[in-house]
Amino acid sequence: MNATSVPGKGHIEIRDVCVRFTQNGVPLDAVSEVSLDVKPGEFVSIVGPSGCGKSTLLNIVAGFLKPHQGIVSVDGSPVGGPGADRGVVFQQYSLFPWLRVRENVEFGLKMKGVSRSARETKARTLLGLAGLLSFENHYPEQLSGGMKQRVGIVRALATSPQVMLMDEPFGALDSQTRVVMQEILTNMWQQLQLSVLFITHDIEEAIFLSDKIYVMTARPGRIKAEIPVPLPRPRTPEMTSSPTFLALHRQLKALIREESLAAMGGELKEGGLAGHDWHVGAEGVGAML
Amino acid sequence: MGTAIRIQPADDVRSFAPEPDDGATSLREVPATPAVRHVERSDTAAPVGTLRSSAFRRLLRSEGPAMLLALVSIGLLIGFWYLATAYRWDFYIRFTHIPGPVEVYRDALALFGDPKFMTNITISLRRIMLGFIVATVLGVGFGLLIGRYRTVRGLLFPAMEILRPIPAIAWVPMSIMLWPTTETSIVFITFLGAFFPILLNTMHGVATMDSVLVRAARCLGANEYALMTQVVLRGAMPHIFTGLSVGMGVAWVSLIAAEMISGQYGVGYFTWEAYSLIEYSHIVIGMLVIGVLGLLCSGAIRLLARLAMPWQVSVGKENTR
Repeated sequence: MNATSVPGKGHIEIRDVCVRFTQNGVPLDAVSEVSLDVKPGEFVSIVGPSGCGKSTLLNIVAGFLKPHQGIVSVDGSPVGGPGADRGVVFQQYSLFPWLRVRENVEFGLKMKGVSRSARETKARTLLGLAGLLSFENHYPEQLSGGMKQRVGIVRALATSPQVMLMDEPFGALDSQTRVVMQEILTNMWQQLQLSVLFITHDIEEAIFLSDKIYVMTARPGRIKAEIPVPLPRPRTPEMTSSPTFLALHRQLKALIREESLAAMGGELKEGGLAGHDWHVGAEGVGAML
Repeated sequence: MGTAIRIQPADDVRSFAPEPDDGATSLREVPATPAVRHVERSDTAAPVGTLRSSAFRRLLRSEGPAMLLALVSIGLLIGFWYLATAYRWDFYIRFTHIPGPVEVYRDALALFGDPKFMTNITISLRRIMLGFIVATVLGVGFGLLIGRYRTVRGLLFPAMEILRPIPAIAWVPMSIMLWPTTETSIVFITFLGAFFPILLNTMHGVATMDSVLVRAARCLGANEYALMTQVVLRGAMPHIFTGLSVGMGVAWVSLIAAEMISGQYGVGYFTWEAYSLIEYSHIVIGMLVIGVLGLLCSGAIRLLARLAMPWQVSVGKENTR
């Protein structure tokens, strides 16, 4: 299936990356000294409070943004700009509304100059894998949100990238659809053996999908913790109630809660809440929730 | 001129979506009475005829009241026209020299057999086509470039902003001086009328296009040329067609004015000449012909929009059903 990607490829390295924006003339660090690794074939999630720079980090790997300092490389070659070697799945589906489902999937192959018949074969195979073959001639507008995002994933996979970058891909879906999509994604990931960098704010989703989870701090975003997920593969929905899963969930929730409070800290103090005896310890907050 | 007026092409396209003539409705309509069914079976051409008549009946049922109102509306207009001219009403507005509907109808029949009149129509249409096609190519081309590249925008747009508020008609004397023939100067006026609405709407289309689509295309390996032709152009298309609709309207306004002022031939010239020659019924005929031609042209644009944006029709079908 994934003929062009040799096993052992798809290594994302992020080293000492800083990103600085200028907001109203004031320089503002969005991401500060972040280093992380996605090993070949690994599924890695980044979680953190909103505004912590998770998406900024992904945009750097995708090549949409240049870091202020630091190095980002995929398989040893530094990222210079967007390219078909890194598949990107966006939260807002981003399907071309003027192309039918199969034409959307074929787009990347067409850009590569792949012949019409080869494009069609590849697109139909992938659509079959995602259970969308009977919708190949529909326009995106005629599909449900979950189907659109499946097309988005399939389109990103069509050029056989070594890595997949997913920016809260299921954020716009309802919770039932989301759970099904997570299962579909883990299945496809296991069949295709590629590296995934997955951005989410949903802790359960991160645990269910990942081999490793990075927790980011509030702005400026730093890596607060690196947490391996020891759950076996393949993952099943039943695992979400296992003790390991629940312990991880509690731990992650506490870590993120700390950061969310830190992000709002200044305002809370001024608002008078600081007068109360707010002791924010990791376990304490976890138990509270 | 073009910025203020904007219509939504999507809605227009939807209203043009053909009435679905699916099996379900004809099944519902066919078993009317046994007698009718017998006739159908005996006649080979009957199925087609039944389908057509059932579709017609369905149309009559859904559109009947609206059609009746339309007839009343047009009837009132013609009735007023007839009475006003027959009794030569004169109450500040003077109908004393205005030809009545009967006279206009009689003269129109004679005119439509006149090759000279037909030449006027074809010449006007040719001018519209030429001016409009050049305006489309340049308006869409520059609109895409200005919309996408800041440098091009900075270089070209200020100059265009100075020229834009000048109505195309104000260009008539200048145009006659600039261009070697009257014909080219009239085409130029027509072009000017259509150019700015098309340009501005194309720019607007590029500006309002979802930027995530451009990003998606880039990380799927699209180079700048592919991005422009296969993503930006397609994404801006609904707005481009808005620009074409508005541009077509302004082009006709400009053409008629230019023909009246500087013309030889053309329906605008014909209408003005009729006034000079005291052939008053021809004034009305000229006006009506201009109206019908304008209607046909905007209809052609809508048809084109439907063909160029099939994805919008498929969306519309779900809503209009």
